[in-house]
Amino acid sequence: MTNSASAGDRHTAGDFGEVRLEGVSKIYEKDDDRLVALEDLDFTVQKGKTTVLMGPTGCGKTVLINLIAGYEQPTTGAVYLDGEPVREPGCDRLVVFQESALFPWMTVYSNVTFGCQVQGMAEKEIKQKAKAILNTVGLFDFRDKYPAHLSGGMQRRAELARALINDPKIMLMDEPFRGLDAMTRQLMQDFYVRLYEKEGHTNLFITHEIDEAIFLADRLVIMTFQPGKIKAEIEVDLPRPRSFKMMATPEFMKIRAQALDLLYEEASKALAAGRKSAFDLVGALATTKDSCQVAL
Amino acid sequence: MSEITSVARRRAKSTSARLKTVLKNLFNLGNLRGLCAIVVFVALWQLVIYLQIPYLKNLPYPRAVAHDAAGAAVTSDYWIHWGLSLMRIFIGFIAAQVIGIPLGLAMGISRTFKQFSFPLFEILRPIPPIAWIPLAILFWPTRELSIYFLVFIGAFYIQVINVIQGVSNISVSLKWAAFSLGAKPGDIFWRILLPGSLPSIITGMTVGMGVAWNVLIAAEMIAAKGGLGRTTWESYTNHNIPFIVVGMVSIGLAGSLCSALLRWLGKQAMPWTKKF
Repeated sequence: MTNSASAGDRHTAGDFGEVRLEGVSKIYEKDDDRLVALEDLDFTVQKGKTTVLMGPTGCGKTVLINLIAGYEQPTTGAVYLDGEPVREPGCDRLVVFQESALFPWMTVYSNVTFGCQVQGMAEKEIKQKAKAILNTVGLFDFRDKYPAHLSGGMQRRAELARALINDPKIMLMDEPFRGLDAMTRQLMQDFYVRLYEKEGHTNLFITHEIDEAIFLADRLVIMTFQPGKIKAEIEVDLPRPRSFKMMATPEFMKIRAQALDLLYEEASKALAAGRKSAFDLVGALATTKDSCQVAL
Repeated sequence: MSEITSVARRRAKSTSARLKTVLKNLFNLGNLRGLCAIVVFVALWQLVIYLQIPYLKNLPYPRAVAHDAAGAAVTSDYWIHWGLSLMRIFIGFIAAQVIGIPLGLAMGISRTFKQFSFPLFEILRPIPPIAWIPLAILFWPTRELSIYFLVFIGAFYIQVINVIQGVSNISVSLKWAAFSLGAKPGDIFWRILLPGSLPSIITGMTVGMGVAWNVLIAAEMIAAKGGLGRTTWESYTNHNIPFIVVGMVSIGLAGSLCSALLRWLGKQAMPWTKKF
């Protein structure tokens, strides 16, 4: 936890955050059940880029995020952040979870400043940083509200702010806009792409939605269904700043067609294998096993 | 000078405005509906006696009960019974929280501790508090202490079970998020686990308070000197039927007063659950 991120040692976002996975496997075993979530995975998240990960449900995308975040340990292989092995959770790698993981009992302000508070930053500095970040995400006027009293889009922005205030080396976005209505989702995508283009922080972004993926990505990575491996990588060289208009361009359509072909293959395999049960097993094992690991 | 008077006037205005809102809240439609049901209930009670329905002929008239209640309300004895019962409830209840909440938290957080303690707990838990009466009387040096103990038993197990449940209901992603943000075990406990299990703790208190009153009244009828349960029982042995009802209504009022207090406490402790 070296980046307690005082004004002085703030790194330039995008200079850090290269994540390398070397020969990573993750195998869940419980009684007679055995699930190979990830197998011999070599994968790099380039610094300063938005890498978007796609694949059928149950291909181990969330497991991958959990490994990078340090919530779970790989069965074999290792994860490195800027060359340093990842051993435990840390505020240099922050996750925005699928379902909101805002603390319901804290106001927006307390949620956003949670990291600074527990790291023992001075109150005055916290206030300054909070004001800046809350203005960035447009929630300054809502700082005293509780999460339950915010709209879905606002909750997502609060969660982004809670991560960004710590100036993480990499943002791990686990389907962050899932569950938002179409309009809010589009607004959030636009907001996020602007934020990225301004800050340039390293990003690993999981999504199920092809248009969202291409719109945000510098690089699109498609995973195979069980065991999770990298199937293909597609460079998305659409110009920045991005705009929704690009979705109608031939370049966008070409990438989209290419990606859909690859995804369709894997989705068919997943369907044939009865993906729901497979996914449930991963979920069940992950929560039972690791909840004890991180409980006190 | 004029500034001072304007401040004073504003203050006076705000007090009268506050009084207005209090009255408005007291006589809102919801409360009037509740009052309506009470009036209907008393009318039916009167009707039952008037129609001389069999088996209910010993029922006292509402008028007699009201008369006795009014008479009792001006005596200090009656209020001493209230005081005794409330004191027994609060001592037993608070002891149950003070011991039950940390125990439940410990069992919810530490798997090892739970493995040690839970089986024993699960064997003791099904024993109804009333079944503890004989042993409690023999065990504790004074009757008062044994009643505190029984009330304690009434509220204790429920709270422990609720706290364990509350801790395990906290989503793992909240704990993960907190760890990522740099929280240490102390932060996880005070900022995540404790507030996260607070809704369950409040539920445990509400349910526990109900059981505590059950146990208290039974214990008072059997073993106590004074208290609302005892005075109800004594009215029976003295064949003072209206006063039995006065005692019962008093217990009902005291119980709902305690529930209201807990509801208020819950709202104060958990502002995030407020609905708009």
